[in-house]
Amino acid sequence: MQTTLWLAAESSSLGDTLFVLISFIILTLLVKHFAWGPITQMMDKRVKKITDDLDYADNERQEAESLKQQRMTALQDSKAEAVKIVADAKQSGKDQRQSIVDQAHSEAQEINQQALADARQAKEDAMKSVQSDVAQISVDIASRIIGRELSVTDQKDLVDSYIKELKTSNETK
Amino acid sequence: MNSHPLVSIGGLTFNVSNCLSTLIAAIIVFLIFFVLSRKIEMRPGKAQNCLEWIVDFTNGIVKSQFPNKSEARPFMLYAFVLFAFIFIANQLGLIFEIAVGGKTYVKSPTSDPIVTMALGTVTLVLSHFFCVQKFGFMGYLKSFAKPVSFLGPINLLEEFTNFLTLSLRLYGNIYAGEVLLDLLVKLSHTLGLITFVGVMPFSMIWQGFSVFIGAIQAYVFVTLSSVYISHKIVAD
Repeated sequence: MQTTLWLAAESSSLGDTLFVLISFIILTLLVKHFAWGPITQMMDKRVKKITDDLDYADNERQEAESLKQQRMTALQDSKAEAVKIVADAKQSGKDQRQSIVDQAHSEAQEINQQALADARQAKEDAMKSVQSDVAQISVDIASRIIGRELSVTDQKDLVDSYIKELKTSNETK
Repeated sequence: MNSHPLVSIGGLTFNVSNCLSTLIAAIIVFLIFFVLSRKIEMRPGKAQNCLEWIVDFTNGIVKSQFPNKSEARPFMLYAFVLFAFIFIANQLGLIFEIAVGGKTYVKSPTSDPIVTMALGTVTLVLSHFFCVQKFGFMGYLKSFAKPVSFLGPINLLEEFTNFLTLSLRLYGNIYAGEVLLDLLVKLSHTLGLITFVGVMPFSMIWQGFSVFIGAIQAYVFVTLSSVYISHKIVAD
């Protein structure tokens, strides 16, 4: 009895093993509570944040890419449009010039013709008025001849003036 | 070698040097992690970076042994604490060894086979526990008959050899380191000043090498622990 107890007391295997196990488990729990828990939580959070940020950046880049594409096409469209506008403007300017020139031509012609017609009309009117004047004058002369006592000289002068008058009226004709 | 003081409490006998050294190593590990984890932020400071580096290192050891990464998660904490504890325990005997009246009170706890076997037991129990948890008790029993049933005894034997090699490798390395250091110290006292100065460089070289061995053995212990656990829970 005494010897077995002494032997049992001499071997420290069980006590040491239990001590190491218990202290290791307590150490694990303490480390888990104070260091492991917070640090792994934070690392997971960081992993999630980085993943989210990368996804976000990817999305943004794609959006920017599509915007760039849109801008490029818009720029090209606007270039073509500008060329078209310039061409149109040139064409319309040319057309307008042509029409203005044509109009001016036709107007000038019209004015010319109008002027010619007016001149002719004026000439005719003048002729008409001259003729009526001549008739009136002849009538006046005749009445005056008839109304006055005519001397020879007077007669001669009268005839002369008459002829002269006729001559001038003939010349003017 | 010095003998170890024994204390008997409530019918259980404790080796004071083992228990005290284990306790000191555990307290050092806890204090280091406690100090390093005071300010946990999204943008890490120096202390947090250091702690995260250790976490990443041990997580890498575990992950490299598990084909399925999600299965590795429960063992990461174990690998983390185990690595830190063994590393500190290995260095403890190099930094200081306290002997009073021919009895050693503080040394490397891992230079005693009982302590390393206790740590090996944790790995052993964890591997069997998770095997039962994953495959059920019948699946656990069947796992001994793989790949063919007549290899059952060899599989059974393998559990013991794994446990023994895991524990005794660590013990042997650290114990041998301490013995050689002890011998060098004794040698330095033989002829007074001449040997004291002459042995000093060798002592320094061996201490540096022991630090290296301590780190390597901590790494090996954690790696093999995760190998044994993954071997048990990965269906082949």
